[in-house]
Amino acid sequence: MQGKKLFKRTVIGAVHAFALAGATGSALAANWLMLQGTEPAGASARANVWGYVQAKYEKDFSDPNAAGGFVAPKMLGPELDTQDGFNIPRATIGIRGTGFPLDSNINYFALLEMGNNGVTHPSGAFAKLIDASVTLNYIPGARIRAGLFKTPGAEEGLQAIHVFDYINFSEATNGLLLERFPNKGFTDCTGVTAPCNAATSNVGPYTEAQLQGGASLNTFDSSVGAFRDVGVQVFDAFNVGKDWELSYAAMIGNGNGVQFNNSDGEYDKYLYVSAEKKYGGQGINVAGLKFFAWSQWGKRLLDLTADSTANAKSYNRDRAGLGVKYMKKPFRVTAEYITADGMIWSGPDKPNFYFTAPAQGNGADAKASGWYVEGGWYIPNTKFELDVRFDTLNRLEERLNEHRFDKWTLGMQYHFNPKTRVTVNYEMRDFECTAAGAPCTNANANLQGVGDKVGVQLTMIY
Amino acid sequence: MYCSLRTLALAFISLLSITNPTSVLAAEQSMADYHYVLHISDLDPSKQDLILNNAANLLEAYPPGQVDIEIVAYGPGLRLMFANNVNAQRLDSLAQSGVRFTACGNTLKGFTKQLGEEPKLNPVAKVVPGGIVRIGELVKQGYIYVKP
Repeated sequence: MQGKKLFKRTVIGAVHAFALAGATGSALAANWLMLQGTEPAGASARANVWGYVQAKYEKDFSDPNAAGGFVAPKMLGPELDTQDGFNIPRATIGIRGTGFPLDSNINYFALLEMGNNGVTHPSGAFAKLIDASVTLNYIPGARIRAGLFKTPGAEEGLQAIHVFDYINFSEATNGLLLERFPNKGFTDCTGVTAPCNAATSNVGPYTEAQLQGGASLNTFDSSVGAFRDVGVQVFDAFNVGKDWELSYAAMIGNGNGVQFNNSDGEYDKYLYVSAEKKYGGQGINVAGLKFFAWSQWGKRLLDLTADSTANAKSYNRDRAGLGVKYMKKPFRVTAEYITADGMIWSGPDKPNFYFTAPAQGNGADAKASGWYVEGGWYIPNTKFELDVRFDTLNRLEERLNEHRFDKWTLGMQYHFNPKTRVTVNYEMRDFECTAAGAPCTNANANLQGVGDKVGVQLTMIY
Repeated sequence: MYCSLRTLALAFISLLSITNPTSVLAAEQSMADYHYVLHISDLDPSKQDLILNNAANLLEAYPPGQVDIEIVAYGPGLRLMFANNVNAQRLDSLAQSGVRFTACGNTLKGFTKQLGEEPKLNPVAKVVPGGIVRIGELVKQGYIYVKP
């Protein structure tokens, strides 16, 4: 609620700024809303083919519990069956442009994901469409984008992933915004050869031998949300004064991520507003000081009971945040605060229990919050960049199992050229229970051994 | 009587200057040592940046007033001179530095037919009946032809 109030104040402030300053027409592409939703007028191709590939190696140094069992945060996704290895988390091919080049009022954006990640793995798909949208630019100040695309929201989620400066998201972005969808029902293990993630048992912890034998810590059957939704968005950006740009977006969507259906019959709503003082540059490389605030709210269906009866119940899922980003080489600083109410993912447990199991703190109607501060230094006259980030996530607030993740990420990037770079990250992770008494003796005690993680990732954009 | 004839002649020349851009351009070119006609007819958006960079680089390479530049657009390249083109501010800036922008009337008619309405052009663009004809005229006058 606090986040919502904060967001409303920011929106009101922004509206006043519009009114006082006098918006002076649409701005050129200079922020994520515009970069991803529009093409340059009069200068876009009929079809611009693009994409990116990421290959990485990661090693997790977490320790198992006393019985030798591992839980999800100690393993590498999306399979969650090993602590070190190579992966191709992203391999995309996209196409964007304007179908009829003489008319700048209509453009499109499509992206196919073929990497091995939370989008493709749970759904068992070789490839998954993660963007498919058309933007109509007919109404001054109110561009309309329809289809599947990134929702207006937190900076880490909204920004293009191929220019993201770290290998992994902050814990708050990962845990609260990269949505995991509960399975439609509980698994019936009748007649299924063990191991089976039975309706009444936890998913894990599993020993190395169990994981190698086929046990799975990732039993979600839907793709992660990927910060996307299918719906309609109204948005635009305006030059105000000499060097300020104000942007807004309002969206309504299914609230079902990259899935195309609206299984609960309810719609998610999204609001976003930003004000950026521009120092120069354009596109991704724009230098500026950006203030932003966002909010999204909707409902999710959950089957609360571990039986074969369908008796789903509707829960609120509200998220809000605000932040600031300064970018002017050689320095970059970003800070963002995120608050969440409802549908708090809080493993390790079954997909439904991730959100509901009362014994584990019942994340379905709990609250959580988190924030991060990060900075980068582009070492002058070199191709090196140093990054550092601190982030924290406090979930199941004021509940029995309230607990907190803290993470320091030290990073180094070497830019072979503007479109190819290698990223090295070392994550120092810490977990602690923030409530007195029992929490650290139950299932969440499995998190006590969460340790550091190192990763090397090569990114190539084409 | 002599004064009246002179006044009449001046008025006629002025009228020609307004109604016939070619005459104006021909008059302007005489002051420069170097004359370039830059041609764009491509759909490829990168060519738009390239031709504008060419013009900017030429302006920078010569002392003020020593180079005369005209950019002629036809076919898909005419999009460069659309009023809403993302490079509109660069066109304005170059026009203020003396670069002339010439749009092909034949292409404009074709676009109008396809779009159902005439596309709005950047005010700095002057329409000539045929872009290809205009290039031929300039080359005949000694302009250096460049198609990036």
